[in-house]
Amino acid sequence: MKLLKTLLKSKKFIIGLCVFLLLLFGSLIFTTISSHDPAEMIGFLYEPPSKEHLLGTDNFGRDVLIELIYGMKTSIYVGLLSGIIATFIGTTIGTTAGYLGKTIDNILNSITNLFLVIPSFVILILLSVSLRSRSLTLLAMIIGITSWPWTARAVRAQTSSLKTREHVNMAKLNGEGYVEIVLKEILPYMLSYIFMVFVLQVASGILSEAGLSMLGLGPSNTISLGKMLSWALLYEAVRTGAWWAFIPPALTIAIITFSLLYMNTGMDEVFNPRLRS
Amino acid sequence: MNRYLKYLTGKLKWYILTFFIAVFLNFFLPRFIPGNPVSALVAQMAGGGASSDVLDKLYNSYIQEFGLDKPWYTQFINYVLKVFHGDLGISFSLYPTKVNTILSHALPWTIALQAPAILIGWIIGNLLGALAAYKKGKFDSAFFPLALFINSIPYYCLAIILLYLFGVLLDVFPIGGGYSMQLIPSFSITFLIDALKHYLLPFFSLILVTIGGQAIGMREMSIYELNTDYVRYAKLLGISEKKITRYVFKNAMLPQITGLAISLGTMVGGALITEIVFSYPGIGTWLFNGIRQQDYPLIQGGTLVITMAVLLANFLIDIVYGIVDPRIRMAQMEE
Amino acid sequence: MGKLLTVKALKAYYKLRLGEKLRAVDGVSLTLQEGEVLGIAGESGCGKSTLASCLSGLFFPPLKYQKGNITLDGIDIIRTDKQTLRKSILGKKISFIPQSAMNALNPTLKIEDFVADVMQEHEPDLSREEAIKRAEERLEVLSLPKDVLKAYPFELSGGMKQRTIVVLSTLMNPEIVIADEPTSALDVSSQRQVIELMKRLLQMKITKSMIFITHELPILRHVADRIAIMYAGVFLEVGTMPQIIFDPRHPYTKVLMSSIIVPEKGMRERKLPLITGRPPDLRKRIKGCRFAKRCPYATDECRMREPDMEETDGRKIKCFHPLKGKEIKQNEVI
Repeated sequence: MKLLKTLLKSKKFIIGLCVFLLLLFGSLIFTTISSHDPAEMIGFLYEPPSKEHLLGTDNFGRDVLIELIYGMKTSIYVGLLSGIIATFIGTTIGTTAGYLGKTIDNILNSITNLFLVIPSFVILILLSVSLRSRSLTLLAMIIGITSWPWTARAVRAQTSSLKTREHVNMAKLNGEGYVEIVLKEILPYMLSYIFMVFVLQVASGILSEAGLSMLGLGPSNTISLGKMLSWALLYEAVRTGAWWAFIPPALTIAIITFSLLYMNTGMDEVFNPRLRS
Repeated sequence: MNRYLKYLTGKLKWYILTFFIAVFLNFFLPRFIPGNPVSALVAQMAGGGASSDVLDKLYNSYIQEFGLDKPWYTQFINYVLKVFHGDLGISFSLYPTKVNTILSHALPWTIALQAPAILIGWIIGNLLGALAAYKKGKFDSAFFPLALFINSIPYYCLAIILLYLFGVLLDVFPIGGGYSMQLIPSFSITFLIDALKHYLLPFFSLILVTIGGQAIGMREMSIYELNTDYVRYAKLLGISEKKITRYVFKNAMLPQITGLAISLGTMVGGALITEIVFSYPGIGTWLFNGIRQQDYPLIQGGTLVITMAVLLANFLIDIVYGIVDPRIRMAQMEE
Repeated sequence: MGKLLTVKALKAYYKLRLGEKLRAVDGVSLTLQEGEVLGIAGESGCGKSTLASCLSGLFFPPLKYQKGNITLDGIDIIRTDKQTLRKSILGKKISFIPQSAMNALNPTLKIEDFVADVMQEHEPDLSREEAIKRAEERLEVLSLPKDVLKAYPFELSGGMKQRTIVVLSTLMNPEIVIADEPTSALDVSSQRQVIELMKRLLQMKITKSMIFITHELPILRHVADRIAIMYAGVFLEVGTMPQIIFDPRHPYTKVLMSSIIVPEKGMRERKLPLITGRPPDLRKRIKGCRFAKRCPYATDECRMREPDMEETDGRKIKCFHPLKGKEIKQNEVI
């Protein structure tokens, strides 16, 4: 609650949050109440924007605006789910390594560093290539389990500085175990930090999905912003000047990411007062 | 210097280990989910109308040729041996072209595009970020949101928009490829000018995003450093702004070097996708072709080359970092 | 002995977000004679470190100057332009020993390079080698190891780092040194070494005068000639060392004297054991005596009106109901 109160002091955070929620709930509400089928072909190839179809049609003659709204929903879904997974794995590994120290820290830290230098998108490609069918959830999971390392690294650093604090020592003297201490004495003190990390993970998850889709490894049987871009490229939308097929999804990806990064900047300013001046 | 050598050998050992693990992952991950690449290949050929008898023979010969009839560890050892002989196998889609041949033609394009874009972008971004932190006020408040917005646009989205603006609408740059179709790559003036024309647009789209991202990081680091105790103490002893700025710049720069190492993978990934947008004849475009045609040897070769390049770049960054930051050398010694 | 430093009715505040002002220094006057050591003691948050930082005339944001004068050797510090201040005053006439020794040195600069930077700033003709040589001599005189010059800050222990800082701050033989809690982050034996070093500097006349700021009043017994007790942005009592240590008259001084606190690393906030409550919120205007809320002797008068600073026997006190004095026994004062 206190966290929320502090956050609401930051204009940047509020703006970012509002934009993000607007896009999220806008797409959720629209896709729930609307009877449109985004895959329905309602026109010909690359029809320019008109009154009936505000953003024209794509290479399959589908309504771009409706695709965009559905794509937004799937992109945000993948971002949120992969963000949750990555933050969870990263926090678990980071707190364990940072709190336990010694051998376990050495091992976990080596693994983390290893996955920090091996590009995660390489692993993403190698995993996705072998999947015959890629559901949204599966894709989000793969993205989540390849993007935790930097969270683990950051959380580890925070944990090892927190664990020397007085209240942690008190808990130790009281005979509390590792899980209890991490949950009660360490995590609450870096909640704001973890939330910031989570927001960044969501943004990077959305970008990863788009990147994979561009490589032709996007989710099967679903529309996503990345897939729209990928189709536009494959079917020569750029060369034929059908801007409505690629500018809207490109901008939407940028706006979603921007809203998340803006939120993050706002939080950074509130939580790290040094940056304020 | 002795210390530094020790630091370097430590790093080198670590990178060699990482490389082996990367090779292992590269081999193992595609086999993680069962499925036989050869059947996909054969199915593709079946589309060409070959009889089932011929297909069967083809299937068996491929299985043998790729060694898929042997247990996985034998396959792995063979794979590692081949990798160390620089043999990445034979492409499915361009059979019987060697993957080496394809990638060795593609690699120079990728390096020529990415290395300068990332390096120059990194330098300019850091200078701008430091300037924003130092000047504050109007410059900063105009610069920061702009940098943040550019940074939120993924490479490939900016690439598509630039391609449309300058390649299609304004028609000042070619809309794709590394050079004009009618030319044959050579070191002639005509070819180089032509290649440069094709180069500029992808280069700018990469460098812009790099500048944005780096500037944000550097700005934050510099603001942090400007508020540290040592800056205050130096001011209290009457040290000039100029010298203090130099302290701050150097110290803010150091995390930016490690930052570059960490984000290099992501940057290279984004840049590879940018190649697809411009159909640039680099690794990214070939990787894309490989994925579309389920050409496993090509995909695996591509990912391995990328991993190796990123590891090598990281190692180079570590070498530089060890020279500029005295702390890291010490810290490494103690470990 | 002449007056070296005079501070008159100095006020400075921190500009907070939402335009709030935190009045950390709210009307402080003091004088420092040549050759004198003035101790300033108070709880953390009383404004003593802010006062120290004001004396540089730099006012690091968000700290802002409000009014008052600082005169150093006839020079108006506040109205001197920044360039002159930097070139001929800071580090040369008046120098500082900062609170946080751990982070006060640039982590990527060798001590000798910093030495050269500091000295060349004030003597542009000095060569790097010459500067380092002089620093070596200085270390030798103070029987400190010369090889600290070749080290990076992280290679030095906490105590060594702080002693190095003491030397760095006094390289230019400043007339006044302002030491802001120079021992607060150190263990007991390092604390003693730092204090010894500072005393040596005074004995050898490397520096003439000193302002020593601390939250541990008893420490001042060994260094200070006079002591000022600070609370909520103002001085409550100023007197000679024996007056304050052995015969405190202000109720707050008495409390501060009896609360001998064992320093603990990383624990900046602690309450005084004998009195309850916290110092007043400096963001709000305070009515009456600033200590009234926590004072066991406070009357309605104390809560209504702020007492003036009054002087008797060379002791200044800001209290309506000072404690009764006692005879100071000569043998106590050693």
